[in-house]
Amino acid sequence: MAISRRSLLKSAAAVGALSAPGAVFAPALAQREPVRIGILAPRSGIAAAPGENGIRATQWAVERFNAQGGIAGRKIELVIAEESTPKDTIERFSKLVQQDKVDCVQGIISTGVGLALGPVVEEARALTIYWDGTTQDGVDEKIPNPRYLFRSTDNECEAIMSSLLTIKHWKGKFATVAGINPDYSYGRNNMAAFAAMLKRFGIEHKVVTEQWPKVGTMDLTSHVAALKAAQPDLIFSSLLFADLPVFMKQAHAAGLTKDTKLVFPAAGWQHTLMKKEFTPEGMLFGHNTLYFANPNASPLAKEFVDWYEKTHKDYPEWEADRAYFAIASYKAAVEKASKAKNGSWPAQDDVIEAMAGLEVESLGGKGAWRKDHIAEQTFVQGFTTHNNKYDFVTLGTFETMYAADLQKPAGANFWDWIKTAQFKV
Amino acid sequence: MIAFANILVGGVFHAAVLFLVAAGLQLVFGVQKIINLACGSFYALGAYFGITFIGYATDAGVSAWLILPGLVVAGILLGFIGPPIERLLRTVYDRDESFQLLLTFALVLMFQDVFRFIWGSNPRSLDSAYLIYGTISGREFSVPVYNLLVIAAAIATAAGLGAFLQRTDFGRILRATAENRAMAEALGVDVRRVYAAVFTLGTVLGTTAGALVVPTAAASLDMAIEFVVEAFAVVVIGGLGSMRGAFAGALIVGLIRAYSLVLYPELEVLAIYIIVIAVLLIRPAGLFGRPAA
Repeated sequence: MAISRRSLLKSAAAVGALSAPGAVFAPALAQREPVRIGILAPRSGIAAAPGENGIRATQWAVERFNAQGGIAGRKIELVIAEESTPKDTIERFSKLVQQDKVDCVQGIISTGVGLALGPVVEEARALTIYWDGTTQDGVDEKIPNPRYLFRSTDNECEAIMSSLLTIKHWKGKFATVAGINPDYSYGRNNMAAFAAMLKRFGIEHKVVTEQWPKVGTMDLTSHVAALKAAQPDLIFSSLLFADLPVFMKQAHAAGLTKDTKLVFPAAGWQHTLMKKEFTPEGMLFGHNTLYFANPNASPLAKEFVDWYEKTHKDYPEWEADRAYFAIASYKAAVEKASKAKNGSWPAQDDVIEAMAGLEVESLGGKGAWRKDHIAEQTFVQGFTTHNNKYDFVTLGTFETMYAADLQKPAGANFWDWIKTAQFKV
Repeated sequence: MIAFANILVGGVFHAAVLFLVAAGLQLVFGVQKIINLACGSFYALGAYFGITFIGYATDAGVSAWLILPGLVVAGILLGFIGPPIERLLRTVYDRDESFQLLLTFALVLMFQDVFRFIWGSNPRSLDSAYLIYGTISGREFSVPVYNLLVIAAAIATAAGLGAFLQRTDFGRILRATAENRAMAEALGVDVRRVYAAVFTLGTVLGTTAGALVVPTAAASLDMAIEFVVEAFAVVVIGGLGSMRGAFAGALIVGLIRAYSLVLYPELEVLAIYIIVIAVLLIRPAGLFGRPAA
């Protein structure tokens, strides 16, 4: 049989339509199948603990959602893979999308991995929601205007908030500043953001030393000695891995924590290891988007914290909230899109459209997705107290701020925004 | 001056731990001519086991004052892994150095997975019980007594090793074996026994260093590789196979690191390797090493 050019083109168009992302016929066939969600989270190394927090929160959410009927009537099934190096994580992402055929990928804590994975997500056209890991450097260049990728709040939000609280509570009470921050983009940017904020508010100060220990350095005695030699009035530190409690222990032993003001915006990642015996009261301490002992927490958050304590004999930190926010957002977006289609399962493009601008109640409070696919969440920071039932510090007085007041608007340059933004101090 | 003293003690503390690991490395290379990359794993093993050991001891009601001797005992107990590993290394004694490096690096990776299996992926640490020994402080100076005790332990180990190698019969046998294995064997020295003993001693130095440092730090899966790199800088500066070299190299690395953190923190790592390069260019055998014939 002779095949005309016209019929060949028609056949090609039909095949193309069937294989396009969010194919027209796929949803109807998939109605009975569970929704598969791929999780990429670190399970070993220095970020294993937050990774585990996120996975546990996701599992809790899945159990809860499935008991309520799943997502738009379909049960949820998790496929968990490890986030490790950028190369290996990209391979696992590809497997989740191509082989495991997941409907959505969630996770990612490391900025390095997130930056490398971003372009792959766009190329694969697979809806992906990051939990964390969006330090400013390189984001605009590597992932400009993503369509399929939804990113977490800017990592610098916590530095902006702690800067504002420092200015509010300690303005005029310090003249010299020292920094000890992890030697990668997160630590460098946080310290730079803190300095830029002090400059923005005209706070006269002198940076007497900046220490940059490599992530995971466990003998910090020489760094502590260098800080002590500089005699700062205030120390700013975005240490957040297992090196943080080690630093506090060594700093306490060296008498560094006695009279120095301490600003630690990311300490909440290690909160249960920040023991009272070496962590002072009155330290500015960030819990990011989940403070487990928040007396104003929602019933949902209280239920989660109770479950976490009972099940894991531990207390959750903010990565649990980020993970819950990701899966709750996906559920809300699918159901919103499904409702708009009279109950039929939506295509991926419909879910993406529904996500942008969506408001979701997360464990840590209000959250939303901006039109540029960046999250807005509620942040908690405050001053430490020993007055609690635990063997670690909690917050005595604290404040909550919404990301809209802490992160640059869509399209703006972070450093230029700091110079001109109207902050609420 | 006070700041100088704080930095000095910080640097010497780091040097003390580095010396213990590097001494094990030097001893094994000096006698067995094996470059043992797994010395970092012994250090990590000591740290992990130290935490477990102190945990059990505390549960059994042992006084917190015994934390230091307890950790030394924990480090020594781990010496039992020395002989079987030395037995494994016998397969590569007469082979090219690259085989030795590959085998000992394989051990590093295997140990890492064993640690993950037994102690999990998360870093482990002790609470601040080590502060029970108190702190020596005055004006701006403040140093935990425990840190000074670790420094003293390293100095005592250096002195003890020196005396052992120079003044005991077994020490002479070790030196003779290091000097000329064939001749020592011809004179009736049981070289296999000597190798097993030396490797076990090297292992104990590493495990004890790890156990001693863990109360002030934490045990993590990456610590073996992190530390072995620094230990090799010590060995290159001091001279491969030389105990005095290990002592001097550790001090140089510890102090350079501590002072560069004060003067120009960005140079923390670079400063050490500038010295390494300078030594390799000016005195390739290291400060106390013997040039190859």
